Amino acid sequence: MSTVALRRARSRIAGSLRERTAFLVGLIIVTAIAMSLISPYFLNLDNLLSMTQFGAVIGLLALGQTLVIIGGGGGIDISVGSMLSLSGVAMGLIVGQGAPVWLAAFVTLLIGMALGAFNGLLVTTIGIPALIATLGTLYLFASAAQVLAGGQQIVGFDQAGFAFLGTGTIIGIPTQVLLVLLPVYAAAAWIMRRSLFGRRVYETGNNDKALRLVGGSPRRIRFMLYCTSGLLAGLGAVVTNAWLLVARPGAGDGFELQSITIAVLGGTYIFGGRGKVSGTLLAVLLIVILSSGLQLAGVDPSWQSGVLGVVLVASVVLNNLFTRRGERRAPS
Amino acid sequence: MATDLQRSGARSAADPASGRRRRPAQLGQLVVPALLVLEVLVFSLLTDTFPTGGNIANILLNSVDLALIAGGLTLVVILGGIDVSTGPALGVVAWVVGTLTVAGVPTLLTVVAAIVLGAVMGLVNGLLVSALNVTAIIATLGTAAIWQTALFGLWGGADLFAPPVSPFFSSQRLLGVPTVALFVLVVYAVLWYVSRYRAFGRHAFAVGNDAEGARLSGVSVRRVTLAAYVLVGAMVGLAAVVYMARVGVVQASSGADLTLAAIAAVVVGGTSITGGRGSVLGTLVGVLFIAVLQNGVVLIGVPPLWNGVLVGAFILLAVAIDVLSQRLAGRKRLSR
Repeated sequence: MSTVALRRARSRIAGSLRERTAFLVGLIIVTAIAMSLISPYFLNLDNLLSMTQFGAVIGLLALGQTLVIIGGGGGIDISVGSMLSLSGVAMGLIVGQGAPVWLAAFVTLLIGMALGAFNGLLVTTIGIPALIATLGTLYLFASAAQVLAGGQQIVGFDQAGFAFLGTGTIIGIPTQVLLVLLPVYAAAAWIMRRSLFGRRVYETGNNDKALRLVGGSPRRIRFMLYCTSGLLAGLGAVVTNAWLLVARPGAGDGFELQSITIAVLGGTYIFGGRGKVSGTLLAVLLIVILSSGLQLAGVDPSWQSGVLGVVLVASVVLNNLFTRRGERRAPS
Repeated sequence: MATDLQRSGARSAADPASGRRRRPAQLGQLVVPALLVLEVLVFSLLTDTFPTGGNIANILLNSVDLALIAGGLTLVVILGGIDVSTGPALGVVAWVVGTLTVAGVPTLLTVVAAIVLGAVMGLVNGLLVSALNVTAIIATLGTAAIWQTALFGLWGGADLFAPPVSPFFSSQRLLGVPTVALFVLVVYAVLWYVSRYRAFGRHAFAVGNDAEGARLSGVSVRRVTLAAYVLVGAMVGLAAVVYMARVGVVQASSGADLTLAAIAAVVVGGTSITGGRGSVLGTLVGVLFIAVLQNGVVLIGVPPLWNGVLVGAFILLAVAIDVLSQRLAGRKRLSR
């Protein structure tokens, strides 16, 4: 591709991403206004701040999902929720054995990463398509969580100030957000934008054949992305346990739809190669506003998944209608 | 003759199952049937109750709804799509079936209503994918959530109990075999015929192999895609009737397990998830594999919680073996 064409292509992509950011910000404002109309308590500052803690865990999962999808090759991780459940239960068992809770938390991160590595092996080494592999591990991990927990909840996390991570606030901002979510997103954004690894990830998603020709290894990149997704799920499990002070074997149910919705909403192209961490963060914010607004209005949480489904489909349809390229199936 | 040439040429081009067979690939296709036979042998040796006529009938009865969904899903997967909304869709239709049955609506009308409702729900998916260009996984994830919520709303906190629409779908037997199982065989025969010998089936393979090429060759990709999703929707409707006859109650979570099981059956049965390759008969083997596994695992006394772990592990194993044998045959290039 000539330099001129390359520059034009880059600016076209940058343009569409800027549109997406504007689109998301606009949507956030509209939703916030709608929610404040539905419930008078919405625009309260305390409420707004405490609302953000609902986004911490799903934000972590959505970030992992975003990275896996950007990596391309049909990459997707439907097992994120189950990885969270299994990691959380594992942490509960470790604490139950008498380990200090913060050590258990660290080990849980490693467990999450190991689960992600298992996904990575299935997809990159054996070659099972990601959809099937993670669908299988969704089932496997969720069942394993049930087995390990004996079908019950596990307690024992309330020690050494662990609960502060989940329910505390610093200058009014929930610790989950300030100490976990934001730093992780900042690190991820920096890595994706400024580091060689980040560039490699985009290249893997855009044109893995070219990457292979110059000596890169899309396989290794994608493997690491699945490990990262697992690691973030483990982190999500730690935060969940700190928040609820209880490990439920079904803790991660339903997170897969949410994480994919958020990733797609945030502008991540489902076939890989395009997406921004900041976009995902905006999408998390949007979903959080939507969820808590509905909750304040007294809408049963069970309705939320339907709303999410509509949001997911509508965002893709609108995207297709308003951009010329749309989400057409990429020739592979 | 021109027509014979055209027919055989088209068949070998669009139906990869016939043309270039090499030994390893041929062996690869035997893996899952072999695993099924192995399963049956192992379970028969480990317990007395497994190989009894009553148990076999049970297995057949319990897998009919899964078989119907997986059969329709096969065509969707062959053309390169996916449908993860089948479970919740079945739940919604089952609720409608239950309500109609309790209200005394005639059997035939209820069954037709179920098929039509299922087909309409499939139409929604089909339109999203073909007309609005939404990727299949996203479209069906969205509709899955919508149907799930709809079911929750319809359920309204009260489990719905209803008798079977007709004994044909539950207790009736023909020479000891449940009539509904024979019914499934007939449906599969039709599906197999359509997928192999009718244009619709050949077009589905073509689209799955190379959508752009198919379009340039004059295949209406939009129409084939739409038709496939409507078909799987109709199958879901039919499966809902059977489900109600089998389970007798509709809850907010009804049907949820079937989504994954149907996809697993299709993939385990040898249909490639990326499209262009597969067979309805393979899916039938896949359904049996899973049904026998679920049945046997319970009979040998595995604690219920372990059920999911074993079934999930074996499905992954079967898929892994299938993928690896395809790679050995050189047929599948690893898209890393």
